[in-house]
Amino acid sequence: MIEAKNLTKKVQTSEGELVILDDVSLQVSDGDSLAIIGASGSGKSTLLGILAGLDVPTSGSVRLNGFELTDMDEEGRAKVRADNVGFVFQSFQLLPGLSALENVMMPLELHGHGDAREKSEAFLGRVGLSARMHHYPKQLSGGEQQRVAIARAFASEPKILFADEPTGNLDSATGLKVIDLLFDLNKEQGTTLVLVTHEDRLAKRCRHQLELEAGRVVVPAVRAAVN
Amino acid sequence: MLAFRLLWRNWRSGEVKILAIALMLAVAVVSAISVFTDRLEAALIDESAAFLGANRIVESSQSIPGEWQQSAAEQFDVRQATTVEFLSMVFSDETMNMASVKAVSEGYPLLGNIELSDRPFAVDPEDITIAEGIPGPGEAWLDSRLLPLLEAQLGDTVQVGDKELRATRVLISEPDRGGGMSMVSPRLIMNAQDLPATKVIQPGSRVEYNWLLAGESGEIDSLIEWLQTQTTEHQEIEDLQSEQEQLANALDRGTRFLLLAGIVGVLLAGVAIAIAAQHFASRHVDQVALMKSLGASARRVRTVYLLQLLLLAAFASVAGLLVGEVIQRAVSATLSSLFPVALGGASVGAYGVGVLTGFVCLVFFALPPLWHLPTIPPLKILRREMAVRHLRTGMQGAFGLGAVLLLILIYSQDWWLTLSVFFSLIGIISIAAVLAWWMLRLGRQLGMHAGSIWRLALASLQRKPGQSTMQILVFATAIMLLLSMTNIRTSLIDDWELTLPEDAPNHIFLNIAPHERESISAILQQNGIPQDDFSPMLRARLTHINGEEPSEEMRERNGSLRRELNLTWSEELPSDNEIVRGEWWDQARINDEQALGGMSVEQEVAERMGLELGDVLTFSIGGLSVDVVVENFRTVDRNTFEWYFFIAAPGVLEDYSPVYRTDVFLAPDQKSVVNQVLLAHPTVMVFEFDKILQQIRSIIDQVSSGVELVLWLVIAGGALVLVAAVNASMGNRLQEAGLLRALGSRRKLIIGSVWTEFSVLGLFAGLLAVFGSEILLMSVQRWVLDVPMQPHYELWALGILIGTISIGLLGVISCRRVVTAAPAVVLREVEG
Repeated sequence: MIEAKNLTKKVQTSEGELVILDDVSLQVSDGDSLAIIGASGSGKSTLLGILAGLDVPTSGSVRLNGFELTDMDEEGRAKVRADNVGFVFQSFQLLPGLSALENVMMPLELHGHGDAREKSEAFLGRVGLSARMHHYPKQLSGGEQQRVAIARAFASEPKILFADEPTGNLDSATGLKVIDLLFDLNKEQGTTLVLVTHEDRLAKRCRHQLELEAGRVVVPAVRAAVN
Repeated sequence: MLAFRLLWRNWRSGEVKILAIALMLAVAVVSAISVFTDRLEAALIDESAAFLGANRIVESSQSIPGEWQQSAAEQFDVRQATTVEFLSMVFSDETMNMASVKAVSEGYPLLGNIELSDRPFAVDPEDITIAEGIPGPGEAWLDSRLLPLLEAQLGDTVQVGDKELRATRVLISEPDRGGGMSMVSPRLIMNAQDLPATKVIQPGSRVEYNWLLAGESGEIDSLIEWLQTQTTEHQEIEDLQSEQEQLANALDRGTRFLLLAGIVGVLLAGVAIAIAAQHFASRHVDQVALMKSLGASARRVRTVYLLQLLLLAAFASVAGLLVGEVIQRAVSATLSSLFPVALGGASVGAYGVGVLTGFVCLVFFALPPLWHLPTIPPLKILRREMAVRHLRTGMQGAFGLGAVLLLILIYSQDWWLTLSVFFSLIGIISIAAVLAWWMLRLGRQLGMHAGSIWRLALASLQRKPGQSTMQILVFATAIMLLLSMTNIRTSLIDDWELTLPEDAPNHIFLNIAPHERESISAILQQNGIPQDDFSPMLRARLTHINGEEPSEEMRERNGSLRRELNLTWSEELPSDNEIVRGEWWDQARINDEQALGGMSVEQEVAERMGLELGDVLTFSIGGLSVDVVVENFRTVDRNTFEWYFFIAAPGVLEDYSPVYRTDVFLAPDQKSVVNQVLLAHPTVMVFEFDKILQQIRSIIDQVSSGVELVLWLVIAGGALVLVAAVNASMGNRLQEAGLLRALGSRRKLIIGSVWTEFSVLGLFAGLLAVFGSEILLMSVQRWVLDVPMQPHYELWALGILIGTISIGLLGVISCRRVVTAAPAVVLREVEG
């Protein structure tokens, strides 16, 4: 469960204080899904970063699976991320020097899983890339790279998955396939999903949508029609 | 295990390859240099110690106390032997001749070899054998020329005092031949056990007792320290420096040069490592951000990276040691024909220096650029535009300089040298950075008016002024080092050649009567031997100083007051002498018949005798007295064999029937000329320096070969630094060139701009290098080699040409993929 209360994020710029998030509150139950939508610069990614414990708010609090992130230091948040969180990024963030398989294995190895290889192979199989396991990112298409990133995110079986514009760098058809894959796996694993997008069709696949405008919530999270 | 796996993957992807190769290169260059110099030095020390026949010699006019020898044996781990040298008449059945007798104890010589033969004047190596031990009791080894002088043959009996000895071998060479009057007479070596039976040594006899010592330098040093509390005015402790000044200087310069080269090797490696580490760090920002977003703590990231570095250092060190070993072995083997001395094994310490250098380079050069990696915030994964806080460039520089300081100190163990090299480097680098920046600005202004290729190239340099300045500095450093090294090496060798030309006179004939000059010249001419003029010489005894007889104590202190001295006269100051006080005589002084005749005295002798300018010296020459006044003190060049302590003004000594000397060069196969002269003129004496000169030359040859080897290793290091620097900037270059090609630029334009960019970089670097190497070379001339400072005009054109052409070519070769691969492939690779 994710619970954010009165989140504010301000930064100092040369032109004075800039408010990026202004009094944002939300709640996402276990296994639920939330799409954060809004125009560019509305504060979507900042909110995602704070919810995932990658960043800290100027004020307000975040509870993630019972852990009060805002009371923790970076080491504590790292531990919470390690145990609970997975990511999918807009620019895939695959390491260019590692093969698809090794990219998927990386977080598992980092957390000391003994069966990193088997599990990774299985997940790559699940995203339809068994035949391309030993290819390097530059040998894969954008869609394939994002599928590897999805396999990497789910392989460590996170309780919560954060996705930042997962289809932002993909064409429409490929984006659709990736969305399907993301939601299928989410369903299989019962993961809580929070994603940032400006794509309507992706936002609508989530049970809730929250729209930001200039850092403020203009449309609070509402239950959406679920297919 | 994770660190190992990550390292392997990083290696495979090429990300740590440059770092590893740079590190390996550091270890290889340094260990090859240090192992080779260690072996060379050990061989040279052995060879040079063989000049003394020992590491140290205690020379004494009285016999060496038995208790010293006993203490040395009991308390110190040293080997010892004694020799007793004296001049004595040696008799054969037919005739007699003066010989310089040396009675040696078991173990002599402690270092070096005695060469023997069964044929007098043997030159062919097949005829010469190395002595295994000393002459047995009742045996004697005789110099080649003593046999004809005694009209004797091997197997005949010769008599030294009351003792009859059988001449069993011909003595070809002995290590500690040394100098002095004993060299005038041919040598006879006998067993010390036979000495009492000769009954030659009586109270008052002029005898030189030598105590030879050899062993590890630590043991020898402690023994000498102890001995210095025991010795009296009768004893003197000789080492190579005091015995063979020229050789010691050659060795000293050689090792200093190798040391400088070693420092240069380290510097190059350090620069390569720093560049590679910087490149590695920039490639790993995303990886660390990803790891941290996945929950890795800063500590975990630090541990993982530190372990990777340590593993890398360990592998690179092992590989570096192997490569270094292969290099130094290969080169030693190639050079083996030049090495008359077998190179022994190197000490473990020499390999240790290589590994230590690798780790110091890693910690000081590689760690600072990587230090910020664990502090990269995890948010960077979402916000790619976020700035990464690097360790400040100034701090990184400080670490690098700290490493250089530490490594120079480890290498030289000499604070003065370390600090002087270090601060010169800082000075040079600072000035060079300012100059490089200024040249880039100037280049931009000029480039405004140039064609498209130039504009493109100069714009590329201008876009990254910091990076361009750094590259100019790196290239300039490498070129500067190449120029300086080549030059220092050449000037070292030239300097040695100058001091010791191939045909330097190696024999001096003395005591030639005026009427014998013609005949001796004829003998030399018949044998095709060029000859110096005959110079006049008088044997004289100094009887009074300022009208007073020197006291007993003064006589005791000064050998010059006890024996006859060699005087000569000259109108000109000998070219290698220098006046330190007073003035050399001019024509007016020479023509002044009213005043006492002038005398010039060597300054050390004058100091020992307590002489002042204006003192009147009375010399007794063949029973006649002559007064002279001391007019000046001067230095002599003891590296040559042509020097006099006392030189009179012309017109003072001419009437005292002088004898003459002449100096000649005799090749090995011309040695028998000595005998022809001596048989025709039995009263003529001869000094033979050929063996000594030959030994000095062989050592100098070895040092020169070592110097050349080290130079090549350093050049290899320099070239690799250039490659590392170009590689580090390759990503950006590929991207730019890929874009240009995608936008429709022709290959010619891109290649042209790459060539222009690199050759402009090279030109600037060459200019700086010329400036830097002039400063460096002049400092080295002034403070290290102790020779006069001179500009090196020949380097100017060379530096600029090397810079422009080699860096330009290197750039084009390194960037050739930019034009050979499809633009799409290049761009995609860069993005990936």
